[in-house]
Amino acid sequence: MNTYQWLLVFHVTGAFLLLGGGAIAAALNLSALGRERPSEILLLYGLIRVAVVAITAGTLLAFVFGLWLVHEAPFNYSYGDGWVIAAFVLLIVANALGGAGGKRDQATVNLARELVASGDAPSPELRARVHDPVSLALSYGSGLVLIAILALMIWKPGA
Amino acid sequence: MRPDSWNLPLFLHILGATVLFGTVATVAIAGFASRNHAGYEQLLARVAGRTFLFGVIPSFILMRAGAQWIVGKEFPGDAKTPGWIDVGFIVSEPGALLLLITGILIWVSARRGRLMLAVPVLAGIYVVALGVAWVAMSGKP
Repeated sequence: MNTYQWLLVFHVTGAFLLLGGGAIAAALNLSALGRERPSEILLLYGLIRVAVVAITAGTLLAFVFGLWLVHEAPFNYSYGDGWVIAAFVLLIVANALGGAGGKRDQATVNLARELVASGDAPSPELRARVHDPVSLALSYGSGLVLIAILALMIWKPGA
Repeated sequence: MRPDSWNLPLFLHILGATVLFGTVATVAIAGFASRNHAGYEQLLARVAGRTFLFGVIPSFILMRAGAQWIVGKEFPGDAKTPGWIDVGFIVSEPGALLLLITGILIWVSARRGRLMLAVPVLAGIYVVALGVAWVAMSGKP
């Protein structure tokens, strides 16, 4: 395989880790929505850390190798192309939304940990935090932006 | 550069494949976690079961249908397909059997209230197979 093919492999690996990590986080988050016991919620939110590792690694791979690909690809792509700039901006937006959602989830984890230590009884406050519409909108909004980036990468409008 | 008419099937194929990767990985994560979290086996078996039903199956269908759609456009009729496409078929078809066995084992495990070790092991093998497929599909060696 030539340099371009290898760069594409690493870029696509990044995309798989990024979107796959999002799918892992979504599956575990949806499972937590149906739970009441703090220890169960704590366990499921704890497993989401695996997704965070995949998303972080995926973002780095997709970004670094994506930029390299623009230079290396034999199709006269430019860093000034609209689709490249849009993908870069959307990646920042996705990370900002995901990061903000993650911060709110961390507060939920801290509350769940306190409740586990004090008897593991279901709590309306924890339930409200798990179902918090702002946290859910931030996290799932981030996922939708990632899907939009995938669409942008496939269609490359203006290329 | 590929023709515009290939974009939608390619998008659906990749979207399905990435979600498939994530949801199968979730089954593996839940399965391995159930070995280390006594008292939560039933919860994690339910997580694996629901993820399989509502995540793995639909995303496999999306991935496979998207693949068939784009192969039909790129290699119409009896045109010979290159090796990197054959790798995809090798992963998706015997892979479907592997997923079917995994699904049956999840169902049996959920009834017992504890995920069998074979569930995360098979899910892990499928995750690795998907990795091989995306390297072949993207690198096109």
